[in-house]
Parts: sequence; structure tokens; C-alpha cells
Amino acid sequence: MKIACLWVPELSLVSALRAEPRLCAEPLAVVQAGRDLGGRAHVLGATGAAIGVEPGQSLAEARAICPRLLTREASPERERAAAQAAREAACAVSPRVEEAAPGLVHLDASGLESLIGDDRAVARAVVAAAERVGVRAAVGLAGSKSVARLAARAAAADLTLEATSSGVGGGAFRVVSMEEQRDFLASLPLYALELPDELHEALRRFGLHTLGEVAALPPGPLAARLGTEAALLSRLARGEDASALTARQEPERFDEGEELEWDASSVEPLLFVWKGLLDRLAQRLSARGLMARELVLQLRVADGSWDERALDLAAPTREVAALLQLLRLSVESRPPPAGVRAVRLSAVTTREVLEQMPLFGARGASPTQLAAAVARLSALVGPERVGQPSQPDRWAPFAVECGKFAPGPPPRVPIAGPVEVSLAARALRPPRTAEVRCDDAGTPFLVIGEGALGGRVVASAGPWRTVAEWWTESPLALDAYDLELAGGLLIRVARELATGTWRIEAVYD
Amino acid sequence: MSLPARRLPKDPRALEELLRDGQVRRAPALLPRGPRPIPTGLAALDAALGGGLARGQLHEIVGPPSAGGTALVRAALASATRSGENCALIDPGDCFDPAPCGIDLDRLLWVRPHDPVQALRAAEIALEARFALVALDLGDVSVLPLPRQPRGVVQVVRFEKKPPSPGASPWARLARRAEKHSGVLLLLARAAQAGTFASTTIELERGRAQWEGHKGTAGRFLRGAEAVGGVTRHKRMSPSGPLPVHLPLEPK
Repeated sequence: MKIACLWVPELSLVSALRAEPRLCAEPLAVVQAGRDLGGRAHVLGATGAAIGVEPGQSLAEARAICPRLLTREASPERERAAAQAAREAACAVSPRVEEAAPGLVHLDASGLESLIGDDRAVARAVVAAAERVGVRAAVGLAGSKSVARLAARAAAADLTLEATSSGVGGGAFRVVSMEEQRDFLASLPLYALELPDELHEALRRFGLHTLGEVAALPPGPLAARLGTEAALLSRLARGEDASALTARQEPERFDEGEELEWDASSVEPLLFVWKGLLDRLAQRLSARGLMARELVLQLRVADGSWDERALDLAAPTREVAALLQLLRLSVESRPPPAGVRAVRLSAVTTREVLEQMPLFGARGASPTQLAAAVARLSALVGPERVGQPSQPDRWAPFAVECGKFAPGPPPRVPIAGPVEVSLAARALRPPRTAEVRCDDAGTPFLVIGEGALGGRVVASAGPWRTVAEWWTESPLALDAYDLELAGGLLIRVARELATGTWRIEAVYD
Repeated sequence: MSLPARRLPKDPRALEELLRDGQVRRAPALLPRGPRPIPTGLAALDAALGGGLARGQLHEIVGPPSAGGTALVRAALASATRSGENCALIDPGDCFDPAPCGIDLDRLLWVRPHDPVQALRAAEIALEARFALVALDLGDVSVLPLPRQPRGVVQVVRFEKKPPSPGASPWARLARRAEKHSGVLLLLARAAQAGTFASTTIELERGRAQWEGHKGTAGRFLRGAEAVGGVTRHKRMSPSGPLPVHLPLEPK
């Protein structure tokens, strides 16, 4: 069995640089603090350019060491998104994945050699998958979870920090084969294992400093003197890790979030933030071959409450410009009740539909292109005004519904039968109110309507009575007529029985 | 003057080389055929158009209401969708009636822009997305600029937000998009809009309405209408003569 471990060291720093990759070469420190960045704030991580700044230092110390130090506050939203991205990167390589902690993922690498290549190629693929979603990762590959995790820790020493188009790069990997496992473990110092302080101190007093020295001792007496944790350590030192990888099918969530350092009270600053979030979201979706079919926007306003709104997209897409326009339309139509302090975007995904293009004949649009076009059109005219028309099961004349446009693959054989040209009705929505004068027999002879919709009636037919939908709140009771006006215009008019008002419902064309 | 016949080489590779250089050309009948034009549903009109609505071009239908312009647009949409091609209907007037008319509605994208400028932009997006037929229904709106005021007329100027403008040359842009993406742009308008950028212009005139039954009786109904159409402008063919168009009406 082969297990790979994907670890994102300094998650807070990586998540901050993922949002602002241009700061990779700058002296930057991510600090943990409340709203006030006072002397109590302490450093969580720093870039290589911040020489002398170490995690754990107070902000005042760090600034004294590096006067040009830039700071960013640690953001739980960003860290959550970066941890999700790391998990997705693992899922892009192997179907069996276990997330041990945020930013620490184990994946089953057995059998991947036929798909990707040898162990080094698999480890390199995991590093590359992480970099595609903007995360710098250390990857270890070994025969068990514990050794893979230790290998990832060893690989972390080779990490660099590079700005990429999608975020942060500079990942590294370490492959530990079964043959070199014993030597690898024997050389590991005990302080690299994050042991409890008491156990570490006891081992130090015994003169034990490396895992190899622990492995040389008999496990029974060691456990009798130092407890069960020492027994586990002894087994680990000998490479005896029987813990199985428990792959959990967790619901896939694609969230990106950002906390603002100020209250955004207009759309423009939010657009700037959304653009970055959507870029990262689109990269993650693209890496998994997915598209967003629904976008959930959550805004944390000044009083701490969340304003949530779901954007049901007319067609699945991951086109940033269209999604950005839809977000703008949503917030402009219903502004949040107060200034915005945090933003979270979640995508509900669907699988990207791929279609075989024809070998001969004209090239049509791919489903992805169609979806992108529908999304762009929705952003242009509004999502409720784009879609597939259908005739609802109603009695109302010229009723129409607009549903989702989702054409299937073209039929192998075209629909049979000739196409006939027939007089079509152009519905007037809403119907135009008109004055219609009738003779003694009730036949219309003059229509006075707006614009060209009026004139002397030269021929007519009707009435056709419709009384329906009386079981609804808007019952339908009308007499309809087809009229030919002087000049040749053909129209459909109707008189409401309840009020006696006339309306022009359609023009034949 | 006649040129001497040239002996063609028998080696297929040398022949291919000559074909590539353009020194030797295939006879037109042997050229690979382009994509099939979209039929309009009227055999006489298709013949006058050279087989139907040619792809990659802008076609314009001009005619007053009740002359059958909408009927022709729907017939073209029905032809294209029934052969499995995706079509878009840009309908700023929100007047589409989905009653059964032969269109495969699963393959029709219906877009209802708020104004003509949005309609032009929507048509551009649809053409870029490689819809086979994009029908732009401007039967109820116009994108033509307002006529310039004659000199000496005092005009009240209000400081208001400018209405959106369609740009310098929307029809040139749309014609280029249609050509680039091999789509048919079918424009329906009450007066000619696209000018020389339209590859073909079909003009329609109203004819007589057809009624059945005696006047004033309950059984009387509208059977359809007659119209007269014709291709008044074609970039590659001569204009056609008047063509009778029969437009039956299915009773609702």
C-alpha cells in the first residue's frame, strides 16, 4: 500500500499569499489579533523577505526587527478556503482521500503508477495539483500514513515561496520507499514529531534523541516505563503503522471567503473582492472539471448577521465576468442592510458536460460554450429573461414560461415532416387596453388603440368565450374576436366579461 | 484565345502539390460542399435565395405587421431546430407565442432584452456562441437613430442620463460576427435597418385576409392571409420577382 500525505505548512501565510500572490517577495507577516493590531498581536508566519521575523513574536518585536514589515490579519475565511482547495487537489489525483486536519490530507496512491507513473511522478503530480489551486504544499509518499506524514514534514525543509498565476507555488516532495524506510526513520530527530512535552523530556533524560535510538530499545519495557504513548512511538520508529486510510465521502464544498478590514457600503469595493474570490473559485472548479450551477453569496454585515442570497444560474458556468455581473445585479437590486465586513461565495457544482464534436460538417457550440453564453446573456438582460420557452398548462391566451435552456445532443435523424409557414401571433405582453365600438348586434366596427393598433374593422369573427381558472385568484372570463382592420392589419382582441374592458392581445403576422 | 492544355502529372504527390499551389484547381462540382443553407419553408423563396438562408451571413426580412414576417422567422427556426441545431431568438418586444408551430423548443434559447441596444449585444453573444440561427426580432422596436432636426428648429435640451447607444456600426459588427462564426443572423424589422450589410433582403407586403363562413354567423373564423414576398436584394443573385405567400392560420 502506498499513502501520500499532502501538508500545507503555515496555512495562514499561504492562504494570505493565495489572495495576494504579489506579496511573496515582500516582507510580509500574518498576525493573529483582534480588531486592534496592538502590541498583543503575534506573528503566525512570515515570508522569507521578512528576515529575522519568526512565528510567535509579538508584532512590536517583529516591526523592530524588520521596519518595512507588511502585515495581514489572519483570516479564518481564507484559511478555510485554502484547506478546501488542498483537499480538492488531493481528490484530483486519487479518489480515496482522508482529511486529517485543515491543510493535512492523506490520499491512497496505490495503483496510480499505471495512470501517472512511478512514485516520484505521483508525488510531483500531487504538488502540481496543489499549485493549480494556488496552494504551496509539502508532499510525502511512503508505505503508511505516519511515515508519509513524516516524509511530508521532511519535504517541508525544501519549500520555497513563488508567486504563480493562481496563487502560491514552490512545493516540494519526499518519497520514502520500503527499502529506505528504516534509514529514513532512524535519522529523524524526536523534536520533529510533536510529542507531548512530558514524553519528550523523559526521552531526553534517557539520552534518546532520534527515532533510530527509540527503535533499538525493546518495546515492552519502554511501554512499562513511559506509558502507551511510548509504545506507539516505538512502533512508529520501527515503521509498524497499521492504521488504515479511512476515505470519507464528504460533500464537496467550494467556498471562498474574505474578511474586510473596513465596512464596505457600496458595490464597487465588493466587486474588487468578488473578482479575486471568483478567480480562485473558477480555478478550483476548472481543476476538477466542474461548473457552478448555483452560486450562494453570503455577506456578514456590521451587526454580525449574515445576509444570504442564492443565485440560480440559467446555465452551469465558471465564467468569472458573467458571475461577477450577476453578483452585481443581485446586490444592486437588493442592497445589504448595513456595511459588509466579510464575504463568502459558495458554488453548488455540476459535472462539466463534454460532447464529441462532429468529424465532418460544421462545428457547433460545445455545451461549455453554450453555458457560458447563456450566463453572459443572463448577466446582460437578467436571468429571468433568458431560457427555453414553453407553453404552460393554462387557459390564459398566449401564456408562456421560461425554463432552463439545456439542449440535449443533436438527434441522429432530423425530425421528419415538412416545415409549414403559417400565420403567427405576436403576443402583446401586457395586452394593450383599447376602446372598441360595437354595433347593435355586438359586432366590433371601430378600434381606437395606441399607435397603429386602431382603425375601422372591415371583417371580424367571434366571439369565442373562455371562462376558466375560476379556481385561482385571477379568474379568466373573456370573449375573444379576430379582427381585420382597414389597411389589412389582423389582430386578436378580447373583452373582459367582468369589467367590460377591451384589450388587444396579439397581432397576426 | 485558348491556352494549351497542360498534361497533368500522374504522380498523386505532384498533383497534390499543384493543387496546394493553386496551379491546378478542382472543378466547382467536385469542390467539397459548404454547409447546407437553412430553408425558409417556402420552396419558391428558397429557390430565389439560392437554396435557403446561407450561413455566415446577415439576412433581413422587411414588411408591415400581418404580412408574414414573423411566420417566416418561425419557419426558419423550425427548419433549423428540427435538424438538431441550436437557435436563439432575441425578442426585445417579448412577443413570442410558444403555441405549436413546428419549432423544437428544446433547442431554442429565448432572450428578452429590455431595449434594442441590449438586443444587438445579445445577438452578438449568441453568434459568438455558435448558434446556427440567431433571429433578431425588431418587429416592435427600431435601432435607427432619430432623424436629425432641420436647421432653425429650437430643441429643448434636458440634462438627463443619455440613453444607451448601439454604437457606430452595429450591423457591420454583427455581419462580421455571423461570418466569423458561420451563423445565420436573421433580422425581422418593419423598415430596412441593416442596409448594405445585409446579404439578402426579403420584402413582404400584405395581401387579403381569408375568412371562412358567413358574416355575422357563429361559424365564421379567420383561415389565414395572403401576402406577396420577394428577394429585393441578394449579393450573389439577381432579385426575384413577386412571390405569392400563403399563410394559413391554425385555429386556436
